Order: sequence, then C-alpha cells, then structure tokens
Amino acid sequence: MDELKLLREMNSDIPIVKDSVIDVGRDQLMSRMTTAGVKKSKRRYRKTLRITVMTAATLGLVTTLVAGNVIGLAGWRGAASAEAAEVLNNAAALTIQTVDPVVGPGQYLKIDSTNLWLSAYGVQDPSESVGSNTTVQWLDTEKMSMYVPANHDDEWVWDRSGRIPTTFFSEQAKEIALQQAQQIGNTSEHLKAAKGAFYDSTSTFPSKKELAGYSRDPSMLLNGIYLKTLGAGQSVDGEALVYIADMLRTGLIPADLRAALYKAAALIPGVVVTENQATLDGQNGVAIGRVEGVSNVRQDIIIDPSNGQLIGERQLTMEAMGSVPAGATISWTTIRTTVVDSAP
Amino acid sequence: MTTDADIIRRSSESPQAFTELYDKYARMIHRYAARRAGESAAEDVMAETFLVAFERRDSFDQTWNDARPWLFGIATNLLRKHHRAEAKILKVLAKSSGRDSYADSTDRIAEQLDAAAATSVLAGALRGLSAADRECILLYAWAELSYEGIALATKVPVGTVRSRLNRARRVLKDAAGPFRNENEEAEHGRAEIAT
Repeated sequence: MDELKLLREMNSDIPIVKDSVIDVGRDQLMSRMTTAGVKKSKRRYRKTLRITVMTAATLGLVTTLVAGNVIGLAGWRGAASAEAAEVLNNAAALTIQTVDPVVGPGQYLKIDSTNLWLSAYGVQDPSESVGSNTTVQWLDTEKMSMYVPANHDDEWVWDRSGRIPTTFFSEQAKEIALQQAQQIGNTSEHLKAAKGAFYDSTSTFPSKKELAGYSRDPSMLLNGIYLKTLGAGQSVDGEALVYIADMLRTGLIPADLRAALYKAAALIPGVVVTENQATLDGQNGVAIGRVEGVSNVRQDIIIDPSNGQLIGERQLTMEAMGSVPAGATISWTTIRTTVVDSAP
Repeated sequence: MTTDADIIRRSSESPQAFTELYDKYARMIHRYAARRAGESAAEDVMAETFLVAFERRDSFDQTWNDARPWLFGIATNLLRKHHRAEAKILKVLAKSSGRDSYADSTDRIAEQLDAAAATSVLAGALRGLSAADRECILLYAWAELSYEGIALATKVPVGTVRSRLNRARRVLKDAAGPFRNENEEAEHGRAEIAT
C-alpha cells in the first residue's frame, strides 16, 4: 500500500452530511439568487493548459537505461558547461580538504538556516466578477535553528520562527500578506523529537546510514540520484539538481559526500554558471544552476569559491507569475553549521 | 448530456438554474471541507463556496465542462480561513496513536496495517508540509482532481502542481515508510544508491 492509498483512506469516515445542512445552504443560495439581477454573459477563454509529460521517447530511454541498470544516464549525454564544471570541481577539491567539525559526545551540530518561500493568495473581489480571480504573491521568511545530537537517536531540537511575510510583489500583496499574518498570529515553534522524528512522523532528514550508502564516485552517485528521482520533477536532469540542492541544504552532509555532490552536479547537462557575483543573505559567491525549460524556473546553488563552502540555494522564475516579475527569486535557503555544547 | 458549463451558462439568464450545480456538488464540497477542517467549518465552507461561485459565475471558464476544479478552488480559498480548525485536527490525529506504536521499536514494522497509526504519522507529515503543498496533495488525494484541475483550482502552472505533488509525496512516503506493504523497499530502497 503506497502513501497515496494510505492518504486516501485517512479521515474517510466522515459522517454523511445531514439533509438539513444541505437545505440551509440551498436556502442561502436561493435567497441570494432572488436579489441578483440577470447578468450579461461575459465569456472568457483560458489559454489551453500546457500539459507536461515526459515524451514517450525520453521515458523509453530512461526506463531501458536506468531501471534496467544496464548503463547509467550520467556522462554520455553531455555535462555542465566547462566554466560551471571548473567552479564545481574546484569547490569539490577545496571541500575534500575540509575537516568537518567534530561533534563530541553530548554536543550538537547546530544548523542555522534562513528560508524564503513563496506564498500566494487568491483574491476574491465580489464587486467585479470578471478578472477578479487574481492571485497575489509574496515571500515569507522563516529562520530556523536545528540542533542535531552527536548520537542521532537522541533528542533533536528545532526552533522555527514561523513564516513572516517579508517581500511583497505588489501593494495588494503586502496588504493581504500582513492581514493574513495578523489573522494567523504567531506560528513559531520549539520542537523536540528523538531521532529527528518531528511532528510525530518518521524523520525526513537523511540518516547516517543513508549518507554512508551514497557512492562517492561522481558518476555512480549521479546515476543513483537519477534512479531515485526517476519520474519525479519536470525532467531527469532538473530533478537531479534539485535533489542535490535539497541534500546540501540539510547541512548534514559530510565533506566527502559534499565534494562528490559538487562533482556530480558538474556532470548534469544544462548546468552553467548563472551569476558570477551572486549575493544571498549578504554572502557573495558563484551561482551554478540550470533553467528547467518546462516550468521556466532556474535552480541555483551558490558556492563560496574561496573555500568551497555552500552558501545556499535558490530558485528564480524566468517568466512572470501573476505579480511576480520574470527573473525574481521565488525561494532561497542559506545555511551555516556550528558545533555547540547544549541545545535550548 | 448537460454539462456543468451548460448549467452555468444557463444560470446567466435564469439564476435558478444554478441550484442544479448545488445539488450536484454540495455534498462533495462538504465532505472535502469536513475531512480537512471538521464538520462545523464544512457547513460554512459549503454554503459560502456556492454563494461565491454564484456571484462569479460569469468568470467560469467555459472551456472546462467540469465545474469541480473551479468549485474546489473557491473552497480551498475559503478553507484558509479555517486553518486553525485544520491545524487542530491534524495535531489531534498526529498525537492519537502514533506515539505508542513508535515507542515500541521492536514492533515498529507491524505485520498488518494499523490504520490509526498510519493516519497518525500521515497527519504529522501533513502538518509539516507548507500550506500550498498540503492543499495540492489533498486536492489530488481527497478531491480527486487531475494535475490540470489542481492547476486551475489553485491558479498556478501545471509544472508547479507537479513539483508540489512530488515534494509532498516524498515527505508522505518517508513518513508512511513502516506502513507501506513493501517493507523491503521501505527498508532497503535507499541503499540502492550505494555502489
């Protein structure tokens, strides 16, 4: 039974709604109708929705080569641009020389992160029926500190600030975002959970065992990632880069695997240097990324070229989305890790 | 056959025709809202969804014969006002039975599906999702909308729906690990990445 089947069964024992409830709603609707005049029909045609599927040819290729495990996808379909590969391989070389801070018994690896996420809200404007279905967008910021114990089976601590609206793409977005934030109130959380199993669910963070299982050979690692993400995302290459960015931003990846992930990213076709002087949360680095043609979203990872450290990762939209202009950053995460003696 | 688009078109001239749409879908919207935010919120959301839909019936996209994505889109917006009720339900479910089954790690992989425990871990995982990801996966699993329907309902590109669903499924899959039948896969799937 997969997770979708389990989810479909969840809360399915809702009692049948009473007829009296249906009648009340019907009466409300009827009374609204009698006060409403006859409206002139204004039709609006939506552009045909773009349906995104992997082409049969691609799917066939992937199935044969990846699932069959005959030969991996990595390596022979091209790779990152020479410039991007140089940045990534240099960063890998610097990273491999890095000694990760040792988390002694009783100590914690503290991962501080700043996360920006896109929020959207559909605005209902009853005064104007056509064109009133607008969506406004803004970015929320959430700061987090996670304390990972030396022994991962012990208690983890996670402080979350909650989402606070910080970047607005229009005046209306600002008004609605602040109003929503006020309604929702303080959503900060102080969470504790053994084994990182927050929210009473299994941990979604990679375990030491899982991390040890990844190949340190870049091609093998990338093939493993292709295999794991098969069928997900917009394209095999796009999803592989997203997977690498997701792993790196956990802050839990040891130096040798970080180096291998950089080298694996250098093998992904379409990966280029997207910005030589990128600034994220006040830190400067080189942005390496790939534009996903299907969604027109660019995934970047930003590396400090002087020491190979990951500054963070971000996503930019290449086309306007509602009030979000083309080229705007729609999410980013920066991380910083330190070793501390205690957790709050 | 009369399509939803026909009903809505007709209701422009004769508003009463819109009650056909109510009779067809009110229970469906109620059920969805009740699963997410409880019965009391569901009564409000159901009634309000059709009032809003009626007011905005001219904005219905006639290229869609099926009104469900449009109605679920309105209901989704209205449900955001009931986020506290939803959060409370998920919190209660997450705490209901998951603790016990997890405390005893030797019995962690149950021989048979324990629906209450599965619900508990899924509720925990749903709590951890962003509101947008949660809306997306529930429109898919509970409202049974297609990718295109969800895109229409939430007014985002299909590609965004796809990535939201992928992300949500990944989190739920990890959470549901011990409850899925393929215990082998759940335990060893990740190791395949190893050389």
